[in-house]
Amino acid sequence: MLDVTAQNAPLVHMSEIYKHFGGIHAVEGVSVDLYPGEVVGVLGHNGAGKSCLMRILSGAMLPSGGKIFVNGEQADLKSPQDAKGYGIETIYQTLALANHLDAAQNLFLGRELKTRFGNLDDARMQSEAQEALRQLNPNFRNLKDPVAKLSGGQRQVIAIARAIYFQAKVLIMDEPTAALGPSETAMVADLTMRLKNEGIGIFLISHDMHDVFDLCDRVMVMNKGRNVGAFRIEDVNKDDILSLIVKGALPDDWTPRGGSK
Amino acid sequence: MSDHQSSSKMPLSPTGLGLRLVPSGIGLHKLSALLTLVLLIVAFSFTSPAFLTMNNGLTVLLQTSVIGLLAIGMTLVIITGGIDLSVGSVLALSGVVAGLTIKAGLPILPAMALGIAAGALCGFLNGLVITKMRITPFVATLGMMMIARGVALQLTGAAPISRLGDAFGTLGNGSFFRIVEMQANGFPKVVFPGIPYPAVLLIVMALAGGFLLQRRQIGRHIFSVGSNEEAARLSGVNVDRTKIWAYTASGALAGLAGMVLMSRLVTVQPNEGVMYELDAIAASVIGGASLMGGVGGISGSMIGAFIIGVLRNGLNMAGTSAFIQQIIIGIVVIGAVYIDQIRNRN
Repeated sequence: MLDVTAQNAPLVHMSEIYKHFGGIHAVEGVSVDLYPGEVVGVLGHNGAGKSCLMRILSGAMLPSGGKIFVNGEQADLKSPQDAKGYGIETIYQTLALANHLDAAQNLFLGRELKTRFGNLDDARMQSEAQEALRQLNPNFRNLKDPVAKLSGGQRQVIAIARAIYFQAKVLIMDEPTAALGPSETAMVADLTMRLKNEGIGIFLISHDMHDVFDLCDRVMVMNKGRNVGAFRIEDVNKDDILSLIVKGALPDDWTPRGGSK
Repeated sequence: MSDHQSSSKMPLSPTGLGLRLVPSGIGLHKLSALLTLVLLIVAFSFTSPAFLTMNNGLTVLLQTSVIGLLAIGMTLVIITGGIDLSVGSVLALSGVVAGLTIKAGLPILPAMALGIAAGALCGFLNGLVITKMRITPFVATLGMMMIARGVALQLTGAAPISRLGDAFGTLGNGSFFRIVEMQANGFPKVVFPGIPYPAVLLIVMALAGGFLLQRRQIGRHIFSVGSNEEAARLSGVNVDRTKIWAYTASGALAGLAGMVLMSRLVTVQPNEGVMYELDAIAASVIGGASLMGGVGGISGSMIGAFIIGVLRNGLNMAGTSAFIQQIIIGIVVIGAVYIDQIRNRN
């Protein structure tokens, strides 16, 4: 990571990504980079294609065209397992938790710890999960309840813990604070900054302008499946972004704002 | 099994206090099923003096073993959120395959292995149709139910295959620890009828099934797929493989149940096993498995299987007609599913 060339290479480079559903063009030739230790906001209307683009990166959806490079190497992300193999972890807006399983079972779902004989090592999964969850929320206690019985905040904590426990290099956060109260939202913001400082690259999908301006280094706005603008956060203000989201274009009199927020 | 029990022993947390009743509800369901079983046994003891005897107990054990074996596989499938309507027909087809290969000169054991393999193949095909062709489990296994029955009838010309040799009857009729005494008058007297092989087989398979479901990765994945298929997929669970595994296991267990049943009759009957799938589904649901997926357990299903076994046996002993029996079991099944509905609403 200290290598100069490595620092210059993007962690993720998505190049000319297309996604068609029959006649509907959900993503049209979108390219985006993500560097280590930066937060890139992915913005747009519902249906603008941002979730689609992120699902392609997380291996949950196959692109119709385009290439993805991770650390400069072309990556073939056919399944969520493939993406996880590249260190790409996702916190889904739906959280993607199995309601009947408990916190530890969800955290290790698909990547269960096993004993020497190949049996599930539930004791170790419980203690590891407890550790991971307590780091995010010291009050987390209902470890053995099915997650259906937990609050929205607790469920969110499990989804986040699952993403970071496995040493993510790239983190996709889809509306991570949509279901949260103010203190939990602050916790997620703190966590985002901490992970960023550890050199993790983060894609943040959010509708919350506060979050975007507080956390993001760069933003990329999508409109009708196209990338209509990618800027350093200093160069745009809220109105510019809203204009991009709604009209798909900047205000007519726009010049780079250069740090004036 | 162990999960649900251990969860109720956790110290109460301040927020979880009010919600505590629901997770223990799964255990409660099993407990109420067990209570029902005990009540049935007590009730039938009064209606017929011969009910609560060692001999009849072993008969119930023997009769329940077939439904029990089917219920193990059915439970795996139901936990994935599916259903397997083909097990009764697959049971018959497996018996036919074993019977025909024995007739063709194959020894008993390899022939039975082939029969079970035929069952597993049917289950595997169910899994493929459901995952790759994206046909709902109800329709896919309904199709297999007709196909397997049709193949079994076509292969045999709908005629039973008999004269398979005494050895073919060992699995279904033999028993451990059978004690027979010769009496002075020259007639043998059965001191202890022995523990029938099918009952031992059922216990072994139930323990194996429970172990797989609770202690192995495949079991965890079966629960996750039934609980939230999309979440399981996004978490890296191979959903298709998990489902195919469950249906294959169900088919193989149907094959095994077929071996037990045909062996007990020492005759292969291509007409056997009609509607057995409904008994197996009823056993799973009575035992607490949810048709919505994600919930269920082998121990509960075994209790369910014995409820049906005891009900059938007790009604027979009490001289209830076969038609009335159907009515009663139908009501029990609806009652069990109704309980499942109420639980889901909560």
